[in-house]
Amino acid sequence: MKLLRHPFWQAVLVLLVAWILITFGIPYLPRLAGMDSAPVPSSVVLQYMVTVLVGVLIWVSDSDERWNRFLEPIRATMVEPERRWLRLGLLVAIPLLVGFLAFRQVRQTVAAPPSLRSIHPAPPSSITFRGTPMTLAGLENPLRADGSIAEDYEEGKRVYYENCLPCHGDALDGRGHYAHGFNPAPLAFNQGGTIPQLTESFVFWRIAKGGPGLPKEGAPWNSAMPVWEDMLTAEEIWAVVVFLYDQTGFSPRTWEEAAGEGGE
Amino acid sequence: MTFVRAALATAGVLLATGFVRSPAPLPAQEAPAGKATYDRWCAGCHGADGAGGGPGAGTMLPRPRDFTTGRYQIRSTPSGALPTDADILAVILDGMPGTAMPGWRDRFSDGELRDLVAYLKTFSPFFESQPAPETLPIASAPSASEEALGEGRDFYEKIECNKCHGPTGRGNGPSAPTLEDDDDLPVRAADLTENWLFNGGGSVEEIHERLVTGLNGTPMPSFHDLIASEFMTEDQLWNVAHYVRSLAPEEPPRVSEVVRGARVEGELPASVDDEAWEVAERFYVPLVGQVVVEPRWFTPSVDGVWIQALHNGREVALRIVWHDPSRSPDPEWEEWRAKVVAIAEAGGETSDPAAAVSDTSGAAPDTTAPAAVTVAAHPPDALVVQFPRTIPDGMERPFFLMGDDREPVYLWRWENGRDGVEELLARGLARYEPLPGAEAGAVAAEVAYDDGEWRLMLRRPLDAGGVEGRLSFEAGRAIPFAVFAWDGSNGETDTRGSIGSWYFLYLDQPTASTVYVAPILATLLTAALGVVVVVRAQRRARNGAGR
Repeated sequence: MKLLRHPFWQAVLVLLVAWILITFGIPYLPRLAGMDSAPVPSSVVLQYMVTVLVGVLIWVSDSDERWNRFLEPIRATMVEPERRWLRLGLLVAIPLLVGFLAFRQVRQTVAAPPSLRSIHPAPPSSITFRGTPMTLAGLENPLRADGSIAEDYEEGKRVYYENCLPCHGDALDGRGHYAHGFNPAPLAFNQGGTIPQLTESFVFWRIAKGGPGLPKEGAPWNSAMPVWEDMLTAEEIWAVVVFLYDQTGFSPRTWEEAAGEGGE
Repeated sequence: MTFVRAALATAGVLLATGFVRSPAPLPAQEAPAGKATYDRWCAGCHGADGAGGGPGAGTMLPRPRDFTTGRYQIRSTPSGALPTDADILAVILDGMPGTAMPGWRDRFSDGELRDLVAYLKTFSPFFESQPAPETLPIASAPSASEEALGEGRDFYEKIECNKCHGPTGRGNGPSAPTLEDDDDLPVRAADLTENWLFNGGGSVEEIHERLVTGLNGTPMPSFHDLIASEFMTEDQLWNVAHYVRSLAPEEPPRVSEVVRGARVEGELPASVDDEAWEVAERFYVPLVGQVVVEPRWFTPSVDGVWIQALHNGREVALRIVWHDPSRSPDPEWEEWRAKVVAIAEAGGETSDPAAAVSDTSGAAPDTTAPAAVTVAAHPPDALVVQFPRTIPDGMERPFFLMGDDREPVYLWRWENGRDGVEELLARGLARYEPLPGAEAGAVAAEVAYDDGEWRLMLRRPLDAGGVEGRLSFEAGRAIPFAVFAWDGSNGETDTRGSIGSWYFLYLDQPTASTVYVAPILATLLTAALGVVVVVRAQRRARNGAGR
């Protein structure tokens, strides 16, 4: 306990707690909200830790007294004869650590080249669907107007199970039994970051034109999403859009929302 | 003999259940509590009436469970008996690996699950009319010693596992092509080397339970009666389970995006079974059905390949190993092939070659002929390794499914029964043309097939030799590649087969000595700095003390 009143050990403790929070605490947050998580990249960890270190140094050098107490153990390690072995140990260990880190930087690494892609690329304002021009901007799902949405849901379900199931899965979580064969992985519809952020016309465009219809920033060469206009009618695609929203319980983004935020 | 006995036992139980069939005891007045969950999440495959005929079922093999029969594969109960509630629940939660049935853990509340199980049972009158099924007692497992595995190996043959699953478990036994389930649909003998795809789970306990209880509705019998008749002991059946488990790796293969090809000095391995391949690192590339362009393929045979790569600075060699129970064209499998193709066509995937190619550019090359091969012929096994024509500088690469008109891909295509490997350009799935200017035999090939396994070695100089469109391999670069496979005896040809996405081949560079300079320099500099700091601190301390 006495140690904890010493500014040097306090500084060490702060750095340690910060490191634990950043590497383990932050990745845990999305899971609390039921979302998928990923480890914090090491470069980001480094950035945070440098910030914390600067803060700690400002604090320990805030008063002369604290600064001197902070330096005490460091100075003692460098000069006291009874700390000779610790001193020697550090003089060997730290350069070796630095050498090892340098080696990790320069050695031959085998990693896939970065594959950056825009998951929600900007849609075109109009497309050609089976040879017929179609304006996407402002376009609503025509099935929503005809009052037979329950039948549209059933039709969409048929289309989904006959076609989409192997990749997107029957739980609509993007984990169908073929999903593991494809990279990028099929989209999960049951997460807040996907279809609720999109208008129905956007979803229609993505289904109709598939992977090959993506703009370059969407990495069209990797996507296994078929060009569904070759296999499905416009009515079938609109019906499967109805199914996707109904089955997940999400509402599509409206054009008012899209306009309010300056469009897609 | 054992087969007959198991069949008799099954038939006996089925007969008994058949006699007590009661006429539709379903209460039609109020919707049962599990119906809402079922209709929303299960009916798409299993059908609103529970008969396994939902819209997703048409192309599936194995078919979704038909709940009206009361026939459940994964049970803890005797052969032919109904499952317990816990058995049904376990399949809902964990799914059935190797099939389209996912696990639904964490999706439903305990109450919803209980109601769902209760609702599933209402589809079959047997749950009403028969006494509650009882779990078979399971003897505790003996440890898996060397002798135990040896005895398991002996009994694997004595109880005729090899008849269907093959001598080393690759699903290629002599009876494998003839297997049908109780609905006369073709059913595969499991490849026992891939326990992560076992329908009832791949642990030794789960394997043992399958051996004890059998898989109702399939040709997989129960071996419980062999213990009752003292043909074998409890321990001996456990040893079969241990032996079967030992056929598969400890862990399911991990997929790595990068396949690394080590550099060897001197000559590359001369043959497909050269000792050098035993030490070369193996990478698993999963393959799935071609469901991107029509005609699609929902019942692929090859679910993955193992790939190894080596190079020596002049040549590159790949070795690709995969399991395929038939050496197609294999007449033994002709009936199987016809059945699978008939099911695919009934599921709506026509073999009309015009539908195979969606040509958006309008400029169709006159080399699309292979798509017109009729499925009436028994096709050979085939494998394609796909590369871009040049190593891409940026992120852009050709379309993963054999390129397109704008950006063709460069292929190595091997086909059983044909000498060597063809070098092709493709402008879309199965739209091949010979690589112009390529001399025959530029890619050396050697292939071996035995006991349900293909092993293919491909070798080519790294340099393209000035041929336009032929990839020049370079060490130290990420070279995109993809693999496609066809099992002819499963009716696979052209667009009907197994596909995979882009992976990267990375050929090791010789380690440059400069790699070691920087770390050594960093170490020395830090050490010198440390010494200077310490010496100065000590000098200052002495001066301070002396003052």
